[in-house]
Amino acid sequence: MRRYLLRQLVQLIVVIIGISILAFSILHVIGDPVTLLLPQNAGKEEYARYKHLMGLDQPIWVQYWKFATRAVQGDFGKSWYGNTPAFPLVIERMPATIYLTVSGLGVALLIALPLGVVAALKRHSVVDTFCTMLAVAGQAMPIFWLGIMLIIIFAVRLKVLPASGYGTWQNFVLPAFCLGAFLAPLTMRLVRSGLIEVMNMEFIKTARAKGVGERMVVIKHAFRNACIPVVTVLGLQFGQLLGGAIITETVFAWPGVATLTVDSIRNQDFPVVQCAVVLLALIIVIVNTAVDILVGLIDPRIRTGA
Amino acid sequence: MAVGPDATVVAPPLETAARPDAAGASWRRLGRLKWGVGGAVVFLLIVASAVCAPLISPYDPLSVDIKHRMTPPAWMEGGSREHLLGTDQVGRDLLSRVIWGGRVSLLAGTSTVILSSIIGVFFGLTAGYFGGRVDWNIMTLINVMLTFPFVLLALAVIAVLGPSLANMVKVLAVTGWPVYARIVRAETLALRERDFVLAAKALGMSHLRIILGQILPNLISPIVVVATLQIAQVIILESTLSFLGLGIQPPTPAWGNMLGEGRVYMLNSWWIAAFPGLAIFITTLVINLMGNGLRDWLDPHMKL
Amino acid sequence: MVRSIALGVALLSALALALPGAAPAQTKDDTVVYALQSDIDTWDPPGSVLRETIILGYNVYDHLAVRDLKTRKVIPNLALSWKVVDDTTWEVKLRQGVKFHDGTPFTAKDVKATFDRVLDPVKKMIARGNHAKIKSVEIVDDYTVRFKTDGPYPLFVERLTAQVMESEKVIREKGDEWMQEHPVGTGPYKLVSWHRKQEHLLVRNDDYWGPKPYYKYVRIRIIPEQATQIAELLSGGVDIIKAVPPDQMDVINKSGSARTGVSPILRTAFIQLDQAARSGPNPFTDRRVRIAVNLAVDQDSIIKHVINGLGDRVATAINPMAFGWDPNLKPYKQDTARAKKLLAEAGFPNGLDVVFNEGPPNVEPGQIQTDDAAIADMTKVGFRVKRNYTGESSVFVARAKEGKLGPMFTWSWGYYSVFDADAILYDIFKCGEFYAYYCNKELDDLIISGRSTLDQKKRTEVYAKAQKLLFDDAAYLYKWGLRGVWGISNRVDYSAPPDEVDRMFLVTPRKK
Repeated sequence: MRRYLLRQLVQLIVVIIGISILAFSILHVIGDPVTLLLPQNAGKEEYARYKHLMGLDQPIWVQYWKFATRAVQGDFGKSWYGNTPAFPLVIERMPATIYLTVSGLGVALLIALPLGVVAALKRHSVVDTFCTMLAVAGQAMPIFWLGIMLIIIFAVRLKVLPASGYGTWQNFVLPAFCLGAFLAPLTMRLVRSGLIEVMNMEFIKTARAKGVGERMVVIKHAFRNACIPVVTVLGLQFGQLLGGAIITETVFAWPGVATLTVDSIRNQDFPVVQCAVVLLALIIVIVNTAVDILVGLIDPRIRTGA
Repeated sequence: MAVGPDATVVAPPLETAARPDAAGASWRRLGRLKWGVGGAVVFLLIVASAVCAPLISPYDPLSVDIKHRMTPPAWMEGGSREHLLGTDQVGRDLLSRVIWGGRVSLLAGTSTVILSSIIGVFFGLTAGYFGGRVDWNIMTLINVMLTFPFVLLALAVIAVLGPSLANMVKVLAVTGWPVYARIVRAETLALRERDFVLAAKALGMSHLRIILGQILPNLISPIVVVATLQIAQVIILESTLSFLGLGIQPPTPAWGNMLGEGRVYMLNSWWIAAFPGLAIFITTLVINLMGNGLRDWLDPHMKL
Repeated sequence: MVRSIALGVALLSALALALPGAAPAQTKDDTVVYALQSDIDTWDPPGSVLRETIILGYNVYDHLAVRDLKTRKVIPNLALSWKVVDDTTWEVKLRQGVKFHDGTPFTAKDVKATFDRVLDPVKKMIARGNHAKIKSVEIVDDYTVRFKTDGPYPLFVERLTAQVMESEKVIREKGDEWMQEHPVGTGPYKLVSWHRKQEHLLVRNDDYWGPKPYYKYVRIRIIPEQATQIAELLSGGVDIIKAVPPDQMDVINKSGSARTGVSPILRTAFIQLDQAARSGPNPFTDRRVRIAVNLAVDQDSIIKHVINGLGDRVATAINPMAFGWDPNLKPYKQDTARAKKLLAEAGFPNGLDVVFNEGPPNVEPGQIQTDDAAIADMTKVGFRVKRNYTGESSVFVARAKEGKLGPMFTWSWGYYSVFDADAILYDIFKCGEFYAYYCNKELDDLIISGRSTLDQKKRTEVYAKAQKLLFDDAAYLYKWGLRGVWGISNRVDYSAPPDEVDRMFLVTPRKK
């Protein structure tokens, strides 16, 4: 058990370092921040002066070390266009994004769990085929299309929900549904296949042989065990969840980190982009590790296997 | 795609293990495959229209004609046979733009997939075949890359490099290879212990010959299946980036940026955004159907 | 199983408690909602060039004088009267009994402090150019000030409408940084809160010296996408939006829940060309290339088909409503053959590549659509245009100020609502000004002489000469005088303002 935890922590640290290197190199290796900051006809001395001012004339590993040590203290520099420090700017927008992703996840589960269970139990039936087809179609639907349609139908035509914004529970409904619908197809298929696999296992047959009612079999034994792969995959889907959140936030003008990142990219405001990328990646990585640990706690096979 | 705890990719097939009823199973299999075949046919049609775009497109997708801007599709009031799907906000023919947009999307999809599969197969083979430290290093890299949400990475790199088709393909290829690597590695690990490989080793064959001659041919099926499904993924990613204004730039027609530009017209000239959206949906759908069908046909037991 | 459910519930409740609380007891009936496409950069108006800052400034601050929207004459506001003492001195009498939001009374020292700050050469405030003719402000007594000008200053009265009055106490005690986020004015509304890039909340100033606004609260929502703004207007989430693209007007008018309001406004649109090479060497330093691009675009057709005729074609950037506009100067007519010939003469027989920087469409209705059409025209003549779009106006104008938007970029100018040619010539065409990418000594002399005489006839002649120069030299790519298009919810009564200032204190509920 302890070895498992240790392994997970080591992996976490390695991944975090990898992320920081990646985020750093994006700006400093691929691009040239000085040319991005200065007006185009700045002369050579101006260029050199700026370079020195920003500490960009030092060897790359010194720059990285500075970046990393400052980052750990929460200093990601100042936004190039707001004169406010980047870190608080990103942190301020985090709750909105987190609420959105959590509610999106909730909606996805609400849709996927019942459908997945029904499809698994009534395998090969019309219901099953219908659900599967729905899932395949759902996976093909571009999420921004869905979002725009939802706004037109529910906000403009029916006028029952707000078209955008943040603050009341009504503001959550459409974005959460949009994000949830984006995740639901894959989740449903996972629940279905996970449940099918479990249902065929020995201990289920044993329970059946013992004469336990079918419903009890499903609820007590099958479902609980099927939860494990579902939870694992969902935790690892956090990355994809974020991809969906980026679009959902943009379409619904949601004041979260994703819209901040996209805006900063358009404005070429790199300190903010860097900070947002690192923080988001950090959260994903931590969630993944937490899920891994959790799953390891529940299912001893995973700890010893692989 | 999803990742299971034992490092194989877990995305459920449309059908799991075959039941004991053999005759019935093969009939059912053929029946299920009808979706895959149907998907493939439509996909080929789409590819054909993309390839033949210069021949079948009624107009130049870039030619502006503001006197005829925002005309509705031919079957609606105000529409005309001249523009079957209507025109956009500066009078460009929508049908032409959708056809040419398909060309761009498919080009982006296939080139990305080719690039990333080459990279991924290389790494996967190396990791699976040689094992040990090499394997551990590559696996860690794969893990880092898979957990880092590559949408963010793509955005950040494009922020620095500037939006364009070439940059987008590069970024998506470089961030997409771990998916292939993981499958290839798992399969290679399994294949490595098979009799014919061990025999080849005993015969003194060089590593390269074994990899190219014995292992790679057996990897074709999973690679093809993953690659097919990934084309759809890339098309969606490309349209997402273009929609955000960070992908293919207007006036070059791409379904994503057409949707983005058409957004403000949704309430009156809805066709400007509707047809590109439909195109994305249909293309992605048939590719998924085709990919699933391929997998079922090649090896329904494949843990994909 | 039970434990995990319990954990989940606990987590959700914790998150729910941390959710944003409701705003101070606002209801739909006491709040008017106004949408902006992008957020302002500061609440200190002299420090910003954005139209949005001017608009919000009008709601929270007061000016010495304001424009009567019906007669277009300048009428007293914080100033009760003004008179010429001699060629270089004006005397202004101030209103009594006015208080700032923090309770301090408004007196002459506040006027002096405001102008001293704006005119300070060290601070380099954006508004300085506007008032550069004022040399100093003297306090005569608590309610009388004297302005000393640098030579005769014909625009003195007009420009009284272009400077908000700020508190001397605040300037002295709090300083510039504090003032960016804490406006202390004498106006009909006070700022309650500002969530950057999300929204501002204003509350009625119940001690206001003038007529009280109907609505107690004003919510200013930042909504960057036009599609979303229109959706919000139609669904009732927003009451007033501006710069509506003309091709969406029928959607709004047919909706039954909102309508559009149109007014000619004192704003001209144009595309700046970097003749002064502020962003480095570029093809537009050559006059032939500038004329070619003016000849390439069929602006009349664009006005007719793209913005449904809601634009008044102009020969240069002077608006027909501004004093000094020359109605005899005819604009460029499209001539693609001559354009190509000129490009070939200039050394570009096979066309040339240019970068086109575009800003957000927050003040120019249909800007994106007209740009699309203009670029198509340019392409036909040989310009290979690469577009570069910036979504936030504060970022865009910052880049403009730093000289980074060359070789061509979208721009428009609202004249600070001063109906005079000087109000655009100085800021947009005078060599070395923040937002001017043109440099011509002859023009500079004309500008200076135009603002140095009180003889209106002489000024008209000077400005006619200036316009001819700007036309012949094709300083920029000229477009048209704008008509503002507003979207107004049927819940409220509001008329489109010809000076482009949305006065929230004039909005009232619609009578049934």
